[in-house]
Amino acid sequence: MTSASQAAATAEVTEIDAGARGPVSLLIASGLVWLVVSSALALLQLLQAHSPALLADCPIFTYGRTAAMKETAFLYGWAANAGFAVALWLLARLGGAPLRSTNWSTVGLLFWNFAVLAGIVGIAVGEGNSITFLQAPRAIQPLLLVAAAAIAAPAILAWIDRRQQATFAAQWYAVAALFLFPWLFSAAQMMLLWAPVRGVLQAVSAGWFVQGVWTLWLAPVALAAAYYLVPKITGRVLPAYDFAPYGFWTLIVIGGWTGGRHLIGGPVPAWIPSIAIVSATLLLFHYIIVALNLRGAFGVKSTALRFVAAGLLAYLVGGLVDAVFAFRGLAAITQFTWFTQAQLQLALYGAFSLTLFGAIYFLGTRIAGRAWPSSPLLRAHFAASVLGTVVLVAGLAVAGLTQGNALADASATFEQIAADTRVWLEVAAAGQALLLLGNIVFAYHFIRLALAAVTSPVAPDAVSFRRPPAMEASAS
Amino acid sequence: MRNGFLFFLGLFAALALSWAGIVLGSNAQLGQLAPLMDENEGKAFPERFPGLAAQGEKVYRDLGCATCHTQQVRRPGFGSDKERGWGDRQSVARDYIQQPVVHLGESRIGPDLANVGARKPAYDEADLYKLLYAGTDTMPSYRFLFQTRSTADRQPSDYALRLTGKLATPAGVEVVPTERARLLVAYLLSLHQSYEYPEARPIEPAKEGDK
Amino acid sequence: MSDQTPNDPRFDNAGATDESLLSAHERELGKKPADNGHYKMLPLVLLFVFSGLIFFAGTYLNEFSGHFDPSVFDEHGKPAQPGAATAAVDPLVLGKRNYDQTCATCHQINGQGVAGIYPPLDGAEWVTGSPERLVHILVYGLKGPVMVKGTEYNAAAMPAFGRVAGSGYNWTDERIAATLTYIRQAWSNQAGPITAEEVAAIRTKEGDRKEMTQDELLQLP
Repeated sequence: MTSASQAAATAEVTEIDAGARGPVSLLIASGLVWLVVSSALALLQLLQAHSPALLADCPIFTYGRTAAMKETAFLYGWAANAGFAVALWLLARLGGAPLRSTNWSTVGLLFWNFAVLAGIVGIAVGEGNSITFLQAPRAIQPLLLVAAAAIAAPAILAWIDRRQQATFAAQWYAVAALFLFPWLFSAAQMMLLWAPVRGVLQAVSAGWFVQGVWTLWLAPVALAAAYYLVPKITGRVLPAYDFAPYGFWTLIVIGGWTGGRHLIGGPVPAWIPSIAIVSATLLLFHYIIVALNLRGAFGVKSTALRFVAAGLLAYLVGGLVDAVFAFRGLAAITQFTWFTQAQLQLALYGAFSLTLFGAIYFLGTRIAGRAWPSSPLLRAHFAASVLGTVVLVAGLAVAGLTQGNALADASATFEQIAADTRVWLEVAAAGQALLLLGNIVFAYHFIRLALAAVTSPVAPDAVSFRRPPAMEASAS
Repeated sequence: MRNGFLFFLGLFAALALSWAGIVLGSNAQLGQLAPLMDENEGKAFPERFPGLAAQGEKVYRDLGCATCHTQQVRRPGFGSDKERGWGDRQSVARDYIQQPVVHLGESRIGPDLANVGARKPAYDEADLYKLLYAGTDTMPSYRFLFQTRSTADRQPSDYALRLTGKLATPAGVEVVPTERARLLVAYLLSLHQSYEYPEARPIEPAKEGDK
Repeated sequence: MSDQTPNDPRFDNAGATDESLLSAHERELGKKPADNGHYKMLPLVLLFVFSGLIFFAGTYLNEFSGHFDPSVFDEHGKPAQPGAATAAVDPLVLGKRNYDQTCATCHQINGQGVAGIYPPLDGAEWVTGSPERLVHILVYGLKGPVMVKGTEYNAAAMPAFGRVAGSGYNWTDERIAATLTYIRQAWSNQAGPITAEEVAAIRTKEGDRKEMTQDELLQLP
C-alpha cells in the first residue's frame, strides 16, 4: 500500500474525495433543495403570522400545517442531508482511506429524501403529529430511521477502520452525532408515536427529544465541521486542545438534561424545569472550552472560516442566551412567545447552517476538484445569510419580548399584542426573505459547480491543490 | 477516545443517563397517576374523555392548533393566566391523564385553551363555529371546515351558522359545519380543569424563619 | 481554469495535511505539565469555573426542586409532610351537598318531608335528640311505624346509608357525620354536631345488623 499512501500524500485532493464524491454531492444537492423549500415555507409562515388571512382558506397552507412542513423540511431535509454529507466526508478524510460500501449511503439518501417528501405531503393532507421535530406521519418515521442508519454506516466504518489510531475532536463529534441520532430518534418514536406515554409525560419526553436533536445531533455535526476547518485552514494547532475532551463530554452528558426548561410553570413537577435550568448553566463550561479552542476562526481571510466564525459566534451567543433565559424570572416573560422561536432560529440558522455553509464551501472544492465558479455569488450568499440571520433573530426576539410583556399584563388583548408585534414580525419576515434569497443563490452556485465538474472534468489544478505543509505542534 | 467500543459505550451511557433521569424518572413518578376519587361527588376526577372529543382531538392535531395555542394554565402570580380568565388554578399532571394525546403547546399567539369549556361566560357551539369560520385579526379563518350550500331543495339545517354583516350569505344559501368542525368544537368544549386537586392548591410563601 | 490569486475567496487553501493535523493534536493531548514546574493558569481557571458551576447547580436544586417530589409543581413549594392535615372540608358544606343531592328526594329541601309518607326533619325530636339514635337511623336504616312530631309514619322504609352489609350507599363515616351535623342545625334545628369518630364507634359496636324498629331505637340512650 506504500505507493497508494504516497499517492495519497502528494495532493490535497485524493481518491478519498473521489470516492466520497457520489453520496456527498447528492446529499448536499438534496439538502440545498430542501433548504430553499423550507426557507420559502418559513417566509410564508412569518407572513401568515402577521396577516392570518394569507392562504387561510387553503387547507394545505393553513398556519399550523405550514409551520409543521417548514420545520420538517428544514430539519429532516436540509439539516439532516447536510449533516450526513459533512460527517461522511470528514470521517472519510480523517480516516485516511476511501469510503467503503458507499452504495449504502446512496440508497439510504434516496430513501431518506423520499421519506421526507412523503412526510411533508402527509402533513399537508392532515396526517401530521403536531409534535415538535416529529411532525411527519407516524408510518414514515421508521423509514427515516432505517435510511439514517444506512447513510451513516459507511461513515462509522470509515472511523472504525481508520489508518491513524489517534482520534481528533472532529471525529468524536461526528461519530457521536451519527451514533446517537438513531437511538434518540427511535426512543422518541416509541414514546410519542407507537406506544405513547401517558399525559404530561408526552410533553416531558418530547422536550427531551427536541433538546437531544440539537445537543446530540445538530450541534455535534456543526462542531465537528468547525473543529476540522479551523486548524486545517489556519494550519495551526488548536490553542486549548487539551481541554477539548472535557468540552465534548460536557456537551454529550449534560446537554440532554436541558430539555425541561420550556416546561417552566407547566403541569410537570418542579424538579424537571429546575434540573434543566441547572444543566443549561453547567453547559456554559462547554461553550467556554469551544470558544477557547475555536477562537482562531476569527479574522481569517477564508470563505469557509468566515462562515464558521459567524456560526461560532451565533453558537456561543445562543448558549449564553439559553442559559440566562432559562431562569424562571426571565422565562416567565419569554415563555410561549416569539422569543423562543428566536432562540431556535439562532441555533438552527445561525450556529448550525452558517457553519455547514462554511464546511460545504470547503469540501465542495475538494470533491469537485476545482474552485467555486463565482465570487460575487459567494459574497452575496455570505452577506445575505449573515444579515438575514441577524435581522430574523433580532426581529423575532423583539417581537417576543413585546409579546411577553404584553401577555403578562392582563389588560392587553390579543388584538393589541398583534398590533404591537406586527412591525417586528415584518422585520423578521424581511430577514427570512433575505435568507431565502441567499439560499437560492447558494443552491444555484452549487449547481453551477457540480455541472462544471461533471461536464468538463479536469485534473485538480496542481498549484491550488498542492500538498500543504505539515502541522507543527504548539511550542509549549 | 481511541478504543472504539468504550467510546460507543460512553456515548450510549450518556444518552441513557439523561433518558433515564428525565423520562424514566418522571415516568416512575407520574406514570401510575390515577384519577382522584372524590367521596363527596361520588366520582373520580378527571372524568373520562368523551369519545366525540377524542375524535375532535385528531382534528386539533392535524390542523396544528398547538402552534398558536397552549393548554396549560400557569399558577397565579406566574404570568397573568388567572386574571385573563384562563383558569382558577394551575394545571397539574393529573388533569391530562385521560387525554390520549396531550397538546400542552409552546406558543401563545392566541389564548390558552385548557379551560375553554369552562369559561365564564361560557362559550357555546355557535360562538366557536363563528370564530372558526370568520377568524379574527390574529387568527386565520378555517372556511374549509364548513360547507356553503343552497337551501333550494332541502330544509334549512339546524346547524347553519347565523352570519351577519360582511359574512352574511345571500338568501337561499347557508353555511353548515362539516363533521370535522363539529368534532373539533366538541373537543374544545370538553376541555376544562375545574376540579380542585390537593396538589393544585397554591402554596403559601414560607415565612421568614420557617424551614 | 481561471487563475486564482493566493487569497481567492472561491478557493480555500489547506493549511496542513490531515495526517499531520491528527498527529499534532494527538501530541497536544499527551502533553505533561511544563517541565519548569509552573502550573499553567488555564486548567486552574477552568477548574474553578466548573466547580463554581457545580456549586451553583447544587444550591439551586436544593432550593428550587421541591425535593424531587412529583406533587410539587411550584418551585418554591416543599413536599407535603406525611400525615399533615389537608385542608379540612367544612362538614356543613359537605353535609348540605349530600342532603340536597340524596336526602331531599324524600325529606325535601326544606326538611318538611311529604305528609303521610316521609317524616319531616325540621323540628323533629329524632334529629335534635339523642345522637346515638340518629346515627343508627342513618347508618342502619329504619323500618316500621315511627312517631315524628306527633304524627305516625309507616308508608316507607328508610334505607341503610352506612358502610354496612346490605347498604346500597356505603357512605363513609365522615359523610354520615357531615350530613347529620348539617340537619341538626339546619332550618329551625339547633343541636350539636356529630363527629365521624362517634359514627365509627357505633358501627364498631353494632357491627352488621338489620335496621332497627322504633321500639328498639327508643331503648338506646
